[in-house]
Amino acid sequence: MVRVNWINEKLREFEDWCIKTYEEGKIKAPLHLSRGNEKQLIEIFKKIDKKDWVFSTYRSHYHALLHGINEDWLKNWILEGKSIHVMNKEHKFFTSAIVGGCLPIALGVALALKLKKSKDYVWIFAGDMTATLGLMHDIIKFAHYNNLPINFVIENNGFSTDTPTGQAWGSGDFIPITLPRFENIICYNYKRELPHYGIGKFVTFKEEK
Amino acid sequence: MKYLEELNKAMQLLAENGYYFIGQSVKFQGNAIYHTIKNLPIDKRIELPVQEEMQMGISAGMTLEGLKVCSIFPRFDFILRGMDSLVNHLDKVKYMSDGQFLLKGLIIRTAIGSNNPIMPGCQHTQDYTEALKLMCKHIKVVKLEKAEDILSAYQEAMNSDVPTFIIEIPELYNQDLKQDFIEARKKLIA
Repeated sequence: MVRVNWINEKLREFEDWCIKTYEEGKIKAPLHLSRGNEKQLIEIFKKIDKKDWVFSTYRSHYHALLHGINEDWLKNWILEGKSIHVMNKEHKFFTSAIVGGCLPIALGVALALKLKKSKDYVWIFAGDMTATLGLMHDIIKFAHYNNLPINFVIENNGFSTDTPTGQAWGSGDFIPITLPRFENIICYNYKRELPHYGIGKFVTFKEEK
Repeated sequence: MKYLEELNKAMQLLAENGYYFIGQSVKFQGNAIYHTIKNLPIDKRIELPVQEEMQMGISAGMTLEGLKVCSIFPRFDFILRGMDSLVNHLDKVKYMSDGQFLLKGLIIRTAIGSNNPIMPGCQHTQDYTEALKLMCKHIKVVKLEKAEDILSAYQEAMNSDVPTFIIEIPELYNQDLKQDFIEARKKLIA
């Protein structure tokens, strides 16, 4: 049951709205935009059923839209200053603003789905820093040995906030993602077009009267 | 009214209501808590690795999918390894989701390590109840000081919209487990 109707340009238009609205000082909260990974995500979401759970991060607008969350609903959520943790129960969409924070929760959902003999799946999106942490390996190991219905998508833009991930580990500008070659682990690379958060320039917030 | 008997009753009540018991030493002996669940259905007990952050998150995830979970951490000291999941997630999910996601009936069960009859040291005997109350804004933190409080605490926890963190005091029931410990040791040696 594939229901992707978003195209590259439409996704970017959404982020354009975010940039414009942020620039106007109307979003008084951190905003983590994507850009540069539209094509990859559109392909990946063709595999994700609307009944599946999707777990994401503080950078989740594209995931939310591609999973079927209404554009206006999301805009409103962002205007309320909650872009950093987009949550939508109807679409089984869950995020966390803590690096790696969603991993064990997603694992628990997958365990529950197995116990309930459900055919639904869990999809978890994580960045390259998360993918290099010990917790990720623990989660993958437990999911593998217990044959849980969960897929991992590693989104490698080479940065952890604005620090090159490899520099943080001491491996230079590049660090390989050394996860097992399991079928349920997808890894894609992309070049981020914007900083970790914000739009790359200062914004003046007007005081409310 | 005895502390151990009330704990056993509470665990039986959870089992009758379809709860899963997850954590370390839930299928295999190894601590006091095990003896309060050892007679519950084996298919409802899920043994997990000693990875507290993972266990705490699994507890939340299973609950999000509608299962009832009693997540067991043998000692309060070990909870500190799962604090991100507990404080940043279990405690905040309802708030972050505008009340869409509730962790209904989720129970975190732990114990303050006993100094009696042996002294296990400062990493196995701490009581962080007050600190936890200060850190968590939404979950309920309940310390079981008396046997009379146990059953009602678990009944309330079962019906709560937010997770309940229940702390017990094995010093109050260790003596009643003496025979269980002796038999368990014999079985292990055999």
